[in-house]
Amino acid sequence: MRIGALVLKRKSWEPVAFASPSLALIAIVIVFPLAYSFWLSFRNFDLAVGPDSEFVGGANYVEALFRDTRFVNSIWNTAIIIGPSLVLELLIGLGLALLLTRIGRGRPIVTALLAIPAMVSPVMAAMAWRMMFGVKYGAINNLGRQLGVIDVYFDWFSSPLISIVAIVMVEVWHNTAFMTLVLLAGLQSIPQELYDAGKADGADGWRSFWYITLPLLKFTMVVGLMIRLIDLTKLFGLIFVLTFGGPGGTTETVAFSTYLAGFNDFRMSYAAALSYVIVGGVLVLTLVFMWIQRYREIRAA
Amino acid sequence: MAIALDRPRTMSRSARAVRIRRWVGLVLTWATLIAALIFFLGPFFWILTTSVKANEDYFAYPPVWVPADASLKHYAALFTRSSGARYFTNSLVISTLSMLAALLVSVPTAYSIARWRFGGGFLSLLLLVLRMLPAIALIIPLYIMYKQLGLTNSYFGLVIVYTVLYVPFAVWLLVGFLRDFPVEIEEAALIDGCSRLRALISVVVPIIAPGLAVVALFSFIATWNEFLFAIVLTGIETKTMMVLVTSFTSGGTDMFYGEASASVVLGVLPAFVVAFVLQRYLVKGLALGGTKG
Repeated sequence: MRIGALVLKRKSWEPVAFASPSLALIAIVIVFPLAYSFWLSFRNFDLAVGPDSEFVGGANYVEALFRDTRFVNSIWNTAIIIGPSLVLELLIGLGLALLLTRIGRGRPIVTALLAIPAMVSPVMAAMAWRMMFGVKYGAINNLGRQLGVIDVYFDWFSSPLISIVAIVMVEVWHNTAFMTLVLLAGLQSIPQELYDAGKADGADGWRSFWYITLPLLKFTMVVGLMIRLIDLTKLFGLIFVLTFGGPGGTTETVAFSTYLAGFNDFRMSYAAALSYVIVGGVLVLTLVFMWIQRYREIRAA
Repeated sequence: MAIALDRPRTMSRSARAVRIRRWVGLVLTWATLIAALIFFLGPFFWILTTSVKANEDYFAYPPVWVPADASLKHYAALFTRSSGARYFTNSLVISTLSMLAALLVSVPTAYSIARWRFGGGFLSLLLLVLRMLPAIALIIPLYIMYKQLGLTNSYFGLVIVYTVLYVPFAVWLLVGFLRDFPVEIEEAALIDGCSRLRALISVVVPIIAPGLAVVALFSFIATWNEFLFAIVLTGIETKTMMVLVTSFTSGGTDMFYGEASASVVLGVLPAFVVAFVLQRYLVKGLALGGTKG
């Protein structure tokens, strides 16, 4: 028998057997609960009422999208937080990535230091900032007073607008590093020869950035933005600690209001329906994003 | 002497202008990066100094930025008064167990995919779906199931969830490491009469150990950082650090600064380790959700 044949020969059950523990776990802990939840979303299971429930058709979905102003508002709140966060993370991330390519020896250590906020849990990031925003003992008010920028102790979470600004700032602090790392990797994959060739043709500084760097970095930017967009639709821990949805529910995100429906009001079926609305929304966002990307490519070609 | 000094000056006036411009550019680059570092690391510095301040320093004006006499008494208070020791241990135990379980389950699966191309396309689809899936959609049915099975407030319940959530990412990383692994070494073991499982355990695993360490660290920090499942599925005995830290917010914006900041310091420690140790893999890890659970 040839050695190759001996080794390549496999028992047909082996691949399945090796993969089965994880497949079984995924089926039990992810696939089954999701199916169960989908079934539940067409019923009226309410833990505050009792263990019994009956089929109510699409009533939960109708309520979520047309009658529940709190949930519909939370969609807007989420969008208002996502928009500026994405723009700022992209711009600051790109700026930092470009700066990092220009330094030599210190780059690994500076990159690692800049990456630390992104490795921290959202809850911890929010807690640190919540304390910094503290009215009397927080670092921001105290620093502002010491520098003479403000003369009163400012309550950062008293108005909806400033609360949103504060949330976006913490979010940008927390996740810009991700954009920086992704774009830095993208920048480093652009071959130096292109810049040399550009230089020979008289492109330098801004021009080489505009005509070489940006077009080649576009795909990386889209992927990075896409990932951040999907993650931002899940924004929960940050809100939980920073504002708990306040003031007056103006900073409740979709994930947060679904959490409240499930674990504050105990309307499990309704919360399940809300969660499927979110899943649908994320799916649509992803498809639209991919479609825009393809459309632009076709138009460019 | 005069000639020697003169010659380069006349020869390279433009070269010197270029050099000066480059030097100014470098200084500006570093100045901006240092400003960025202050913004991104400043909060950690402030939290650390706050956690070692004396109580009267919190009320002081002008504010005390660097306390003259640091003390660990807030950590002591956190560990005793707020049962921080218990919750810190919970976090450690749950993260370690999930990490080990995730490795145990993912290694054979990754091997199956890397060696026999078992359902490779299925894996990447699963990874994508899981990456997009909002955790809130999973926690609602899991909570109901756990309530019925009596699994809430148990280490086991939380560890199972974390393990499964982590498996696709671990498998994906491991497949990459396994594909780089030379098949010949394994074949030698098989010819010597090893079973596949034996070859995997005693030949492959020791050699891909560095890859396993990467996966292990990512899984540890993902579990350590996870909040939604932890706050829903844990009870008084099984709370993690992430749940403990939120309990300090009940006192309004001004709260127990000492204990709250001490718990944040302990809560962010693993992030510092991972950012440095896993630098090469950070992009992959963050993109695939390897740090958020």
